[in-house]
Amino acid sequence: MLRDITLGQYYPIDSIIHRLDPRLKILASFAYIIALFIVKNIETYTLVIAFLASIIFLSKVPLKYILKGLKPILLIIVLTFGINIFMTQGELLYRVGPFKITREGIEMAIFMSFRLIFLIIGTSLLTLTTPPIELTDGIERCLNPFKRFGVPSHELAMMMTIALRFIPTLLEETDKIMKAQMARGADFESGNLVKRAKSLIPLLVPLFIGAFRRADDLAMAMEARCYRGGKNRTRMKQLKFSTRDYVATAVVSGFVAFIFIISYI
Amino acid sequence: MSNMIETKGLIFEYIGNDDDRVTAVKNLSLNVKKGEFVVIIGHNGSGKSTLAKLINAILLPSKGKVYVDNMDTFEEEKLWDIRQRAGMVFQNPDNQIVATIVEEDVAFGPENLGIDPPNIKKRVEESLKALGVYELRRKPPHLLSGGQKQRVAIAGVLAMKPQCIIFDEPTAMLDPSGRNEVMDAVEKLKEEGITIIHITHFMDEAVYADRVIVMEDGKIALEGKPKDVFSKVEKLKELGLDVPGVTLLSHSLNKEGINISKDILTVDEMVSELCQLL
Repeated sequence: MLRDITLGQYYPIDSIIHRLDPRLKILASFAYIIALFIVKNIETYTLVIAFLASIIFLSKVPLKYILKGLKPILLIIVLTFGINIFMTQGELLYRVGPFKITREGIEMAIFMSFRLIFLIIGTSLLTLTTPPIELTDGIERCLNPFKRFGVPSHELAMMMTIALRFIPTLLEETDKIMKAQMARGADFESGNLVKRAKSLIPLLVPLFIGAFRRADDLAMAMEARCYRGGKNRTRMKQLKFSTRDYVATAVVSGFVAFIFIISYI
Repeated sequence: MSNMIETKGLIFEYIGNDDDRVTAVKNLSLNVKKGEFVVIIGHNGSGKSTLAKLINAILLPSKGKVYVDNMDTFEEEKLWDIRQRAGMVFQNPDNQIVATIVEEDVAFGPENLGIDPPNIKKRVEESLKALGVYELRRKPPHLLSGGQKQRVAIAGVLAMKPQCIIFDEPTAMLDPSGRNEVMDAVEKLKEEGITIIHITHFMDEAVYADRVIVMEDGKIALEGKPKDVFSKVEKLKELGLDVPGVTLLSHSLNKEGINISKDILTVDEMVSELCQLL
């Protein structure tokens, strides 16, 4: 059952959005987040919805699959809604005991919840349409200009790649250790929280020892293959901006600029 | 022919937890010629893996010298040249694959050498094809079988265009079919002129070698052509090593007074010998 976990949440199909340069997608996501925080009224959201809808349509990722990503933060959305609806001062509409509901409160609550929902949908589109390797590659190259300020961009990307590489391996190992311990009478399922947490110790100890041994082996194998950090290193895959990417850049900057103009001018 | 690898009076000591020293390699002198296929056998703790790491400059000798293609492993500025020339394949296929996609992993070595991108692509393609894993190039490594993973690891070393590859028990963690896959690959590399040092404890993998070296307690116990080494059945048993089954059989038959050659190494040879007797 552990083997079924998908890495990240990449949705492997082919679409225009999938083929865009990862650097562009990362920067566009940032621009989109900034735009979201510039928006000041609910009406402007129609623009955001139109923009999101067209990207979702182009990406060919089913809407249902995207909305599933909202589930884990449902609680946060409800909380935001609740706090905003009760805490905003203004024209009184209802009063429930000590709680007041105001017109401004309702507006604010809807406004903030939508902001959160759009934020999650927009950013999850990045991970849905970009394979993990391209993502790490994109992050490395986006951070490269900050190298001179001491940002270890290559090391960060290498760490992410290795983590991605070893997650399935370690999951498999966890599964194996768990079965071995269960075969000898270990019980991971019953008891209260403390008992269950304690029962994980015989699982975690061998797992960690194994992980350190692997790290040792891997470091040696990397050195044997002449790895010496990012210095003098070239890459097989070169990222290149195509016409498609330039058009996308224009569209995204247009969108952000427009939001900016109607919000401030 | 010149020597690919040369060791002179090689000594290596591990320093244990309580400052007690364990000498893993004791005064070892060894020459491996270019293009030679050498198999090093020995059971656990005989110092064979330590020797491999000394050749690749992962470890440096406590005393003595190691030369790879006439370069001293002590010379720091030659370190990357040495590692490029003498590649190394390790035991655990899982712990030597770095990238999340097969072709990216094979590209890892050439990328580290700073080769330009179009050339890396070419090398990756050639290596993957040479090892017969070209169809797997877009797969994540954790979905491959052990034999496939090990062949990807070999392709990763081959893409660095080494002159010599050291195999440190590459088949120890594989099932029999995986072992065959890897051994076929090793023999193919030998035919292409790459010097091979194959470390193993499977006797039958030594049969096709140009030279077999049996290590015991950090020293060379026996050395010679496979036929010469394996015909010394008593000595091998004394060292706690298994002799290939067929060789053992020919030895026993010989003892029983049947006139059969003592140094049979493969089943085919055995069949032809027995047929001649009939």
